Amino acid sequence: MLALEAVTFAYAASAAYRFTAEAEPGEITAIRGQSGAGKSTLLDLIAGFLVPASGTIRIDGADVTPLPPEQRPVSILFQSETLFEHLSASRNVALGLARPDAARIAAALAEVGLDGIGPQRAATLSGGQKQRVALARTLLRQKPVLLLDEPFSALDDETRETTRALVKSLTLKHKWATLLVTHHADDIAAIADRVYRLENRGLVRER
Amino acid sequence: MKPLRQSASRGTALRAIPHRPLRLLGGAALALLIAVLIATLFWSILRAAAVQPEGPSRLDIGYLVYITTLQATLSTVLSLIVGIVLAWALNRLRFPGRSLVIGLFASAIVTPGLIVAFGLLAVWGRSGWLSGLAGHPLDLPIFGLGGVVAAHLILDGAFAARILLARLDAIPEARLKTGQSLAMRPWARFSIIDWPAMRGTLPGLAALIFLLAFTSFPIVLLLGGGPSVQTLEVAIYSAVRLDFDLAAAVHLALLQIAICTLIILMSSALAPISSSLDRPVEPRWRDAGATRLWQWLILILSVLGFASPLFAVLVGGLSGLASVLAQPAFWNAVATSLWIGAASAVLALVLALVVAGARAAASSRLARIALSAPAFAYLAVPAVALSLGAFLFVRDLGLAPDAAAPLVVVIANALLSLPFAMATLSPPLDAIARSRGKLIRSLGLSGTRQFLDIEWPLIARDAGLVLALSFCFSLGDLGVIALFGTEHFATLPLQMVRAFGAYRTNDAAAIAALMLVLTIAAFVALPALFERLSRARP
Repeated sequence: MLALEAVTFAYAASAAYRFTAEAEPGEITAIRGQSGAGKSTLLDLIAGFLVPASGTIRIDGADVTPLPPEQRPVSILFQSETLFEHLSASRNVALGLARPDAARIAAALAEVGLDGIGPQRAATLSGGQKQRVALARTLLRQKPVLLLDEPFSALDDETRETTRALVKSLTLKHKWATLLVTHHADDIAAIADRVYRLENRGLVRER
Repeated sequence: MKPLRQSASRGTALRAIPHRPLRLLGGAALALLIAVLIATLFWSILRAAAVQPEGPSRLDIGYLVYITTLQATLSTVLSLIVGIVLAWALNRLRFPGRSLVIGLFASAIVTPGLIVAFGLLAVWGRSGWLSGLAGHPLDLPIFGLGGVVAAHLILDGAFAARILLARLDAIPEARLKTGQSLAMRPWARFSIIDWPAMRGTLPGLAALIFLLAFTSFPIVLLLGGGPSVQTLEVAIYSAVRLDFDLAAAVHLALLQIAICTLIILMSSALAPISSSLDRPVEPRWRDAGATRLWQWLILILSVLGFASPLFAVLVGGLSGLASVLAQPAFWNAVATSLWIGAASAVLALVLALVVAGARAAASSRLARIALSAPAFAYLAVPAVALSLGAFLFVRDLGLAPDAAAPLVVVIANALLSLPFAMATLSPPLDAIARSRGKLIRSLGLSGTRQFLDIEWPLIARDAGLVLALSFCFSLGDLGVIALFGTEHFATLPLQMVRAFGAYRTNDAAAIAALMLVLTIAAFVALPALFERLSRARP
């Protein structure tokens, strides 16, 4: 489980954010809010790119607040630039692994519906395929928390729907605590199990 | 594994770029070494100035500064005008072989000045092609100020055109469509769309061209026509090698370094000018009518002006080829040029990779400036001045300059290429660190994997370009080798000047042709080879 316990952070000359929230394994927790409400700040705090002024971030009970990004049990899927385009799909999946195993990489790609696509350069893949490759990488890294930063924004409607369904099924199957940051109401309606709203520099639970 | 604690204090933003302490340490050590080296050479010059007896000098330093400045100013202004006009024409015109023509102008940056000077003589000289066409020797002002400025114009005008063309090609499509929909006439289009795209580049470009012309050595040596038209660089060489007037050489070197530093500081030339020479170009809005005729005329004259001296060198070289190929001294010079060029190119690449890599890994602006400043400082140190410093330093150590010559020439050539190598490698490495730093950190990639998997494939072509630039600069260098060269240690440019001085013009022509072929081959092949090698990885 991911838990934010009164996590605060303030940029210079601006009021502090204060976040308290929980995300359960096997669930998708959506965070919605307008532009500038603090969605990126929240993700950067959980991923470790920002250090809270106070409060604790716990994952499965362990305090991860002092850990740098590379040591946090967290995977991130950005809206774009989530792959290195000059590398093949397989090499992109292998990047996060200490000991890459071709069979496991192929199986992960197959699990996200990209069987046999491994040798293809990332630059030749569609937006939806790129997000799936990034999900395959997440599968192999076996981190309990998945952060999604507007992951469906750049996709067309059909691809968006299938990618959302994939995220939902993978979250259930692998018991990820998935945090979805979005400003699209239809993404939330389609797959979110619990919803927070960013308001007045804090999080308000909606459902 | 014991968890690594955040080093940042609470309530702060953490670096989005990966922690690379070894890179920073290595880069800082190397930057310090480069700074110490330049300080040592500078100190050697100052020390020599202090101990040299002040004898009566035949040098008129005031006149030297005046004529060098006049020549450099004329070269800069005319080169920029040619560059702007040619870039404008090239931006508008589309024709088969356009890429080849652009590549030809791009090669100006690496074409040795010695070759252009020789080519100018072959076309415009008393026994050149034009005299042949006229049927009698023409007295064209090829020696003196006119010849020197013409040679600089050919090289620097083409270089300026290539840089400015990249700016014009990068104008956003939407801006062009707006202009087209407003039915802008050619002049309005130039002043409202083209000029703003180019003008930001002009101060830095002007400073660079001024520096190149101000410190010009082989062109002035060949075409200057005597003491009336010299540069400080040539005067330093003459003072050391011909007049044995070390005190004068030292004063001139200090003056030259001071002026070059001033120019760099005044123009903020530390901001690197992009040396990426391979942007794709798209067919766009074209002018019509008389404007288009002008553009064709400008292009044809420019191609003739730039290519004819080079073509003349190639054709002229054929006549002396058999004689030159039979000389053991020629083959020695070929071997020396090749290994010095290769060694200094590899050294420049390694230095630039380490320093630029550290710069990209540094998050503080001050650290980034401190890391790259020593490398860019070599812009202010002309080849002959650097060579003089090294010459004095080696002598102070009690070593024979002959014995240290190979090492000094390799290091000096690498250092002189370093600003260009940094300007080529720093932008892509910075961009990778900034645009993909978060992803690299969140994946926990090691420094080695970051370099091998992410950075190297993306910068391999630029690395090839650095090798090509450094190799070509070294291949065409005369400033360093002029002070350290001996009978047994000579490169192709030195061998060529010696042949020219001994009135073995055919031999000089053959050597010039061979240098040109080597230069073009390296400039075309190395970047492509490195790009291919980087793609060969699975």
